[in-house]
Amino acid sequence: MLSQMQRLSVEADGRYATDEELKFLATYLRSYDQRLQTYQKLQSSETTLIQQVYDRVRTKDPNTFRNGNTDHTSICKRDMSMNLRYAALAMLLDDTDTLREKHLFWCQTIMRACGIQRKCNLIYSTMQEVTQQQLDPAQARLINGVLEQTQRLLGGV
Amino acid sequence: MTVTLIHQSPAKRTNPKKHNHYGFQDFFQFDPDKGTIVDWNNSQNIMATEDFIIGLVEGLEEEVGTASAATMYTIGCEWGQKDAFFFEKWFEKEFDRPVRQTSLMFLLETWWWPFTAQGWGRWEVDLGDRRQGFMFINLFDSAVARTLGDVGKPVCFLYAGLFAGFFTEMVKKQLSCIEIQCYSMGETYCKFLLGGKERIDAAAFWMNEGATAKDIEKRLRSGELK
Repeated sequence: MLSQMQRLSVEADGRYATDEELKFLATYLRSYDQRLQTYQKLQSSETTLIQQVYDRVRTKDPNTFRNGNTDHTSICKRDMSMNLRYAALAMLLDDTDTLREKHLFWCQTIMRACGIQRKCNLIYSTMQEVTQQQLDPAQARLINGVLEQTQRLLGGV
Repeated sequence: MTVTLIHQSPAKRTNPKKHNHYGFQDFFQFDPDKGTIVDWNNSQNIMATEDFIIGLVEGLEEEVGTASAATMYTIGCEWGQKDAFFFEKWFEKEFDRPVRQTSLMFLLETWWWPFTAQGWGRWEVDLGDRRQGFMFINLFDSAVARTLGDVGKPVCFLYAGLFAGFFTEMVKKQLSCIEIQCYSMGETYCKFLLGGKERIDAAAFWMNEGATAKDIEKRLRSGELK
């Protein structure tokens, strides 16, 4: 939404915006309550969600949070929380352009450098399963639209 | 007179240890009163147009003729060597660990991110042949090649020098670099070969004889010039 507003301010420079160009604002305002509730739900249940993702991923592949003999649980949980928070903000503001520009493109290169795209793919697909179970269907749809991008960019090989 | 510039964007004030700071508004701080652009690592930046790049390349060609390629390469080398020292400092400050105790790929991606944010293009490093003493770097959206367009020959000498200078300093071993494929030759991206001087001279010779990037890769991988 913020990116769209920025684009609008450039494109409508020196003239009035058309009804068509203003449509996104009305659409956003109609969805705002739902977005805010979803954001607050994610905020209040973050610890539980992350633990559930962690447990499920470990069941699917016990080695996901290890590299050889080193346990990376705390780093992975920290990163999962961070990515969930970024996704939640992008969902609230309906602005995945900014999420990609400020965070995901950078994070993608770092995940590739560490060679853990397959693990990211598993983690962020599982995160979508968990949100589907823990949130209302409409809330899950909102956040999973963003998490799907996180999974695609960080987990893409 | 030395002027110390300090980046103090809201993002840096709130979270100075933030690593994902390469968004346009986080990375650059514009000061319209002083007329400065300072990046996250307190380095002063200057915006340049494509006309500036054309002027630089063509002006140099007019002044020194065919030696302009070597001149650009040398400028790149010195820039890369200086940047290696600069990088070492900011990396250690940001990550609280020495560069030599860090995974190589992570280190390289971290080095290149400021260049990506500044518009020098995205890259991809192929370390697969590192043990054989050479490596390839793919560069997407080279600022020089994108500006000059399809001129039928490699043009990214500045980048080749930058890679040679930086890696020479990082591995403490004299390395050279050559662009073996360029967007300005009609390819979709630029490709650089980095290695010892003997290998790079051989690659230059093969290129003059008409070899493509694929031919050069094949010849090096088949063990020519061990």
